[in-house]
Amino acid sequence: MSTVDYLPEEKRLELLQGTLEVLILRSLKLEANHAYGISQFLQQQSDNEFVVDNGSLYPALQRLLQRGWIAAQWKTSPNGRRARYYNLTAAGRKQLVKATSQWERFVAAMARVLAPEG
Amino acid sequence: MRAWWSKIARAFGRRSGLGEELSEEMQAHLEFLAERNVERGMSAEEARDAARREFGNAALMRERSYESWQFRGFETLLRDIRYALRGIGRAPAFSLIVILTLAVGIGANTAIFSAVYAVLLKPLPYPSGERLVWLGESTAKATGISVTWLNFDHWRKENHAFESMAGFESADFTLTGRGQAVLTHAGIVTSEFFPLTGARPVLGRLFTASDDDPHAPATVVVTREFWARALGSDPAIVGKTLMLDGSAYTVVGVLARVPGFFGRTTDYYLPLRPTAVQLARRDAHGSMRALALLRPGVTLAAARADIDTIMERLAKADPGPEDDHRVYADFLTEVWTGDVRHVFALLIGAVGLVLMLACANIGSLLLIRMTQRAREMAIRSAIGAGRGRLARQLVTETLLITLLGGACGLLLADFGLHLLKALGPRDIPRLMEASLDVPVLLFSAALTLVVGLICSLAPVLGSRRVNLSTQMKESSTGAGSGRLGHALRGGLVITEVAAALVLLFTSGILLRSLLATENINPGFAPKHVLALELQLPDGRYKTHAAILDFYARLEMALRALPGVQAVGAVNCPPGGGDCGDDWYSVVERPAPRREDVPLTLVNLADANCFQTMGIRILAGRGPAEEDHLGAPAVAVINETMARTWWKDARSALGQHIKLGGPYMDGPALEIVGVVSDVPQMGLDGPAQPVVYRAAAQDADSAMVVMIRTSGDPVTRMASVRRVLAATDSEIPIQSLKSCEAWLGASLTQRRFIALLLALFAGIAVALAAIGCYGVLNFWVSSRRHEIAIRMAMGADMAAILRRTGRQAAALGGIGLLIGLCASWGASRWVSSMVFGISAHDPAVFFMAVTGALLIVLISAAVPLWRATQVSPMETLHEV
Repeated sequence: MSTVDYLPEEKRLELLQGTLEVLILRSLKLEANHAYGISQFLQQQSDNEFVVDNGSLYPALQRLLQRGWIAAQWKTSPNGRRARYYNLTAAGRKQLVKATSQWERFVAAMARVLAPEG
Repeated sequence: MRAWWSKIARAFGRRSGLGEELSEEMQAHLEFLAERNVERGMSAEEARDAARREFGNAALMRERSYESWQFRGFETLLRDIRYALRGIGRAPAFSLIVILTLAVGIGANTAIFSAVYAVLLKPLPYPSGERLVWLGESTAKATGISVTWLNFDHWRKENHAFESMAGFESADFTLTGRGQAVLTHAGIVTSEFFPLTGARPVLGRLFTASDDDPHAPATVVVTREFWARALGSDPAIVGKTLMLDGSAYTVVGVLARVPGFFGRTTDYYLPLRPTAVQLARRDAHGSMRALALLRPGVTLAAARADIDTIMERLAKADPGPEDDHRVYADFLTEVWTGDVRHVFALLIGAVGLVLMLACANIGSLLLIRMTQRAREMAIRSAIGAGRGRLARQLVTETLLITLLGGACGLLLADFGLHLLKALGPRDIPRLMEASLDVPVLLFSAALTLVVGLICSLAPVLGSRRVNLSTQMKESSTGAGSGRLGHALRGGLVITEVAAALVLLFTSGILLRSLLATENINPGFAPKHVLALELQLPDGRYKTHAAILDFYARLEMALRALPGVQAVGAVNCPPGGGDCGDDWYSVVERPAPRREDVPLTLVNLADANCFQTMGIRILAGRGPAEEDHLGAPAVAVINETMARTWWKDARSALGQHIKLGGPYMDGPALEIVGVVSDVPQMGLDGPAQPVVYRAAAQDADSAMVVMIRTSGDPVTRMASVRRVLAATDSEIPIQSLKSCEAWLGASLTQRRFIALLLALFAGIAVALAAIGCYGVLNFWVSSRRHEIAIRMAMGADMAAILRRTGRQAAALGGIGLLIGLCASWGASRWVSSMVFGISAHDPAVFFMAVTGALLIVLISAAVPLWRATQVSPMETLHEV
């Protein structure tokens, strides 16, 4: 968990440690996708705020595979190219629910702490 | 867990596939990028270059993807250890206390365990040692009876339970013809003995069946040590002869390794051969016992039944006075260590309590430190360390400190073990073999690990309670001061007080017993008396007359020494134990039934013996010059025997004791005197009936010459040796020591246990005091605000003391109560070692409770004082 995303563009948000994995899980919630597709998805969904560095993406995918939260298989993409598609496992789905609610609590707590005192 | 498993599967199975798959996957990724670039209007070549730029360093990515499949834990571990070391260095006093506490706990446990392992657990050094059985004869009343040759021979040939059976006994012989005469120790064994004990020769041969033949030439197998020490490692020793008690024995072999069987040095082995009487009579006892190897799968009970069947058959076929004799059989390990097992159980219990105290102390220290570090933990978790990560860090820190403590503990154990062997009683078998060998090291490593994990439970439990928002808001007292923390610390105080009380009580009971035995009135005057133990070589002193003449000449010469007041001889001195016993009956009383014939110790005393030792004559007289071989046989009995049969000592005079009882051969002796009891079986031994025969009427070549001197008897030792050498230079001295040493020797085991327990109790008291102090001190520190507010509101010192003291009193009180109950239970454990006082001795209870109370008071005093010294102004401004 020592990987900290590093983005050259100053204006872009740095991903908090550990959040990339949750984002990957989320991106696979509806359909299986390959590494390129995942990075495109995250970039588009965040209105270009997150740009996923491949140097973080690939190790993160490996970690998720290790934990059994995602599975991979080779498939042919709609435009006829063979790619490695990742999909959520049952454990991954559970983890996503858990991580989402934790994240919401964290955000709320941060908000309360940071909110200007009345 | 799952991640680990997939890592392991990957490591062994699909490792090589990973690289190819990754390359292919990245290639696909690149092509997606390039395709998009083409769609944006780049040329094919431009698009590929741009894609490669955008994709980034593929080699590095592959590297890092591999990494995630490797065990990165090791690297994190190193980081944790570095961090932990820094943590230890940052709190040196804390770390030192923890390490020292652990060192004491683990050191004591390792030292005691190494002794327990050597004495009780280590397999016997014989092939199939766990199946070796010790056999003797028994009756309904006694189990320690020797096996007669005929019975042994029947057992050996007719049993179905054993693979092999050997007879053995031991004896001492005087070796002559090789320089100074020396006393040597022999194991006398049948030829089956060596295979049973796994002995092999380095030279020549061991005994074979032909050596068992009573008419075969006398042979001897010497041990390697004796061969080197007494025979100069003569390579041509086989075939030469040794003169033992004046008879020649041909050396047939040298043993490679001493079987260490007889519990003392054995110099050589002689074949065990029956005498004519032993071959003729089934009740001709010597001192032979049998060693046998149980067949696999046969139980001890089945083996006993098997031999008993043989005994019942023999009782019908060859009836005699001992038809009620049956077999006594037990495993060799049981026979050797059965007596000391409870001693070690007690010691293990004591060191276990010490370790528990050490753990409690460390746990409470860590808990306190944890609350001080709560902020650090909260911050670390806020910047991204997961709970598991924090817990692992804490466990690593605790384990590291425990390992340091364990290492110091090993050093301490090494020292303790030396002490243990130096002080330990010699009669505990194999104690001297104790060492910090592999099983012991494994034990202490496991112990250290378990202790580390248990101790780290406290801070980990504490750390689970740390959470960001409360911690950031709370004041400096820390999150660990919650209810769980208090309950834990309160429990620790209670445990410590209780454990210290139990140890104080048990060691107090044993110390008082020791004092009671040491202060017992021995019934004679052992001060200033030297005891010279002799065994005349049978070869040269064959007749009664020769033996009597020698002792008469020796006593005369000793009496002539300056500073010697009196000299007398006895066969078995006080504290010498059982040197021989016999059945007996009183002739003037109705004969008891065969199975009710009582036993008595039989001793020999010469005319000057009682006067020299200061044994009081209660009635009649001691043996005198007129009690020679031709005169009527006389006996002097002790007080215990007189009280058994007669209303007072005087009434015993003139009556007769028949040795052997009404059913066996033995002389009838006229009672001419009654003397006071002496502690024959040792100071803490039970009083037993004793019959003293006149030495002149039943001469024995083994006597202990008692010499009463006017000053310190030790200074006379040299002149006693000189006189003996002048009387006969070929007689080895068995022992020469003060009479008090004979008595004291019986107390070594008692002294050893009492000393060790007192030591452990001392450590326990110190640990408990430190532990209670720490907890109460912390309690006061964490309540300084509360106290300050109370003071500011007008509470006086007494009110503060009452409030703070109530906590200490409640915990101490519960601890005392639990400790008292546990002590009551423990007293039953030690009751077999209690002497002269009750196992529930109220004085000891009182002292132990006072001691435990003092621990609480002393450890509470400083924190209480600190509570009263809280300055409301300063404290309330601190926030």
